Amino acid sequence: MKYLLFICADDGLPSPEDLAVLQRECPRWVEEMNGRGVRLLGRELDLPETAVTVRVRNGETLVSDGPFADTKEFIAGFDIIECADLDEALEVAAKHPSSWFQAIEVRPFRDGLELGEKAQRFARGEDPDGTPYCLMFCLDGIPAAPDVEQAIVRDSRAWGKDMDARGLFVFGHPVEHKNAATTIRVRDGETLISDGPFAETHEFIGGVTVLDGVDREQAIELAAAHPLAAHHMVEVRPFYSE
Amino acid sequence: MTATPAQRAVDSAFREEWGRIVAALIGRTGDWDLAEECAQDAFAEALRRWPVDGVPQRPGAWLTTVAGNRAIDRLRRRVRGAELFEQAGRESAQSETDEEAMPELFDETDEIQDDRLRLIFTCCHPALSLEGRVALTLRSLAGLTTAEIARAFLVPEATMAKRLTRTKAKITVAGIPYRVPPAHLLPERTAGVLAVLYLMFNEGYSATSGTELIRAGLCEEAIRLARIMRTLMPDEPEVSGVLALMLLQHSRRDARVARDGALITLEHQDRDRWDRDEIREGLGLVDAALRRRQVGPYQLQAAIAACHAGPDSVEATDWVEIAGLYALLERQMPSPVVRLNRAVAVAMAGDIDAGLAIIDELTGDARLERYYLLDATRADLLRRRGDRAAAAAAYGRALALAPSEVERRYLEGRLEEVST
Repeated sequence: MKYLLFICADDGLPSPEDLAVLQRECPRWVEEMNGRGVRLLGRELDLPETAVTVRVRNGETLVSDGPFADTKEFIAGFDIIECADLDEALEVAAKHPSSWFQAIEVRPFRDGLELGEKAQRFARGEDPDGTPYCLMFCLDGIPAAPDVEQAIVRDSRAWGKDMDARGLFVFGHPVEHKNAATTIRVRDGETLISDGPFAETHEFIGGVTVLDGVDREQAIELAAAHPLAAHHMVEVRPFYSE
Repeated sequence: MTATPAQRAVDSAFREEWGRIVAALIGRTGDWDLAEECAQDAFAEALRRWPVDGVPQRPGAWLTTVAGNRAIDRLRRRVRGAELFEQAGRESAQSETDEEAMPELFDETDEIQDDRLRLIFTCCHPALSLEGRVALTLRSLAGLTTAEIARAFLVPEATMAKRLTRTKAKITVAGIPYRVPPAHLLPERTAGVLAVLYLMFNEGYSATSGTELIRAGLCEEAIRLARIMRTLMPDEPEVSGVLALMLLQHSRRDARVARDGALITLEHQDRDRWDRDEIREGLGLVDAALRRRQVGPYQLQAAIAACHAGPDSVEATDWVEIAGLYALLERQMPSPVVRLNRAVAVAMAGDIDAGLAIIDELTGDARLERYYLLDATRADLLRRRGDRAAAAAAYGRALALAPSEVERRYLEGRLEEVST
């Protein structure tokens, strides 16, 4: 099974001491998990103040500053791992140094995630087409009428195909509902596991897509063209780059 | 209405076999709903057939075979349904694997292995909500109906049905493995299972009267499940510890509540109303567990309960021993509540000042800020020392924080006693 690990800063930015540990230990974790063949890719996002949230209502695009959830917790990055089951995913997450100071949400992908050539390059941190952008699709969990839901699924696929045809699509896939989420924290050597997403907000992430070869304006425009922008909302944020 | 022998046989088979059948079917099919439905079908079939055909020699094997056959029928129907829709690609590949899985399911139904340990560890997985763990354990292992569990937890049946559905869905969707955890996870996960059982017990034990009596059945279910756990993990002393603890507490169930619903504290209970069989069993379990010399929190709590349950009178209680056990418990489970209990034991062992000193240390602890028992205990020790004015003040503070009418009545009585 493939899982998305959301690295969640739940106490604001880490202290300088914690940051030093993170900087020392994160590369070790990456090396170990790549070596085990568990980690498929992962990148750090830019700070939350670089995010905008996009909605389309009555044909009008509304852009607001900041991440989708107005909480002190924010998503700092993510990793994609492939594991035998949730126990292995939790073990991998517990070894990630971010879980020692912050929290990691473990969410299964829906079946069928594909990581092509562009995703591999993204995983290696090569950004020949400039800074990649992350689109996080935020749902409110209220199902629309069946025909509307079907239309969203159909139009989402068409949107993805269009991005791919234009050479902008790095990868993207829906994750399972937040009811399938598990959050893990390690404190004083003890692993704390809890049912549910990292923050109990009304909205939750239903999928992620990574685009490259776009600037901020284009990323916002493309997010607005996604069918979910009209019913829910899309957070747009660049990945961190040196 | 009296039950016929066949009905009684079905009832007793239900208690013995339900968990085993559900566990085995989940093991074979990976489908929790299917497993429950087929187990239900098998017992319904037994209710129809046994009064006519007689009770089979091995009711468990009979039920397992019927449930297994029912599972195969249902899976076949699903495959056929899928074929009728002529779904292309992945779905048809899926139905082939289902078809392949069937003969195995059928062949082995007679000599089925005990999968209940896999079932309970999966039900009590830490990635599930705590309330979901308790509910699913009661449903799938103990065989309580959704309506019964809903009544026990004082929620509408629809709420409980949703909770169960959501918990089962999480197991499947999030990829929680159906297994006994590997060695490196086993101690922590075993503690997790025992915590669920003890929570279940306490839900029932805290029920004292009237409308709440239905919840008392939870105690018996928790004890029954702890017994099953002990059969499955005979070498784990903490499992014996939790069973002993439950039995020793449960032995006092009839003596701890007065006719008017008021709580009766341990020292004032009528010891003739204690359940001697449960005490004997509990004491035996504590001794056997402690001899293994792998002391854990449940064994220590059971040993403390044994110190109270063993003697014939409250005067014969060995408070020095109890204080020592609390000191050990505090080392394994550092908590202000354990320390507060140690303070009581130290005081009862003869050193009231030392007990009060421990309570004074605890006074600044933010975790006990709204805990009425801190002041109630302080008041009690001051009263025993003869410090009536200080005791009255402490009872007053405790009264302001007491959570329920039962406790307030008790404290008011004490306050009156030291104020006159």
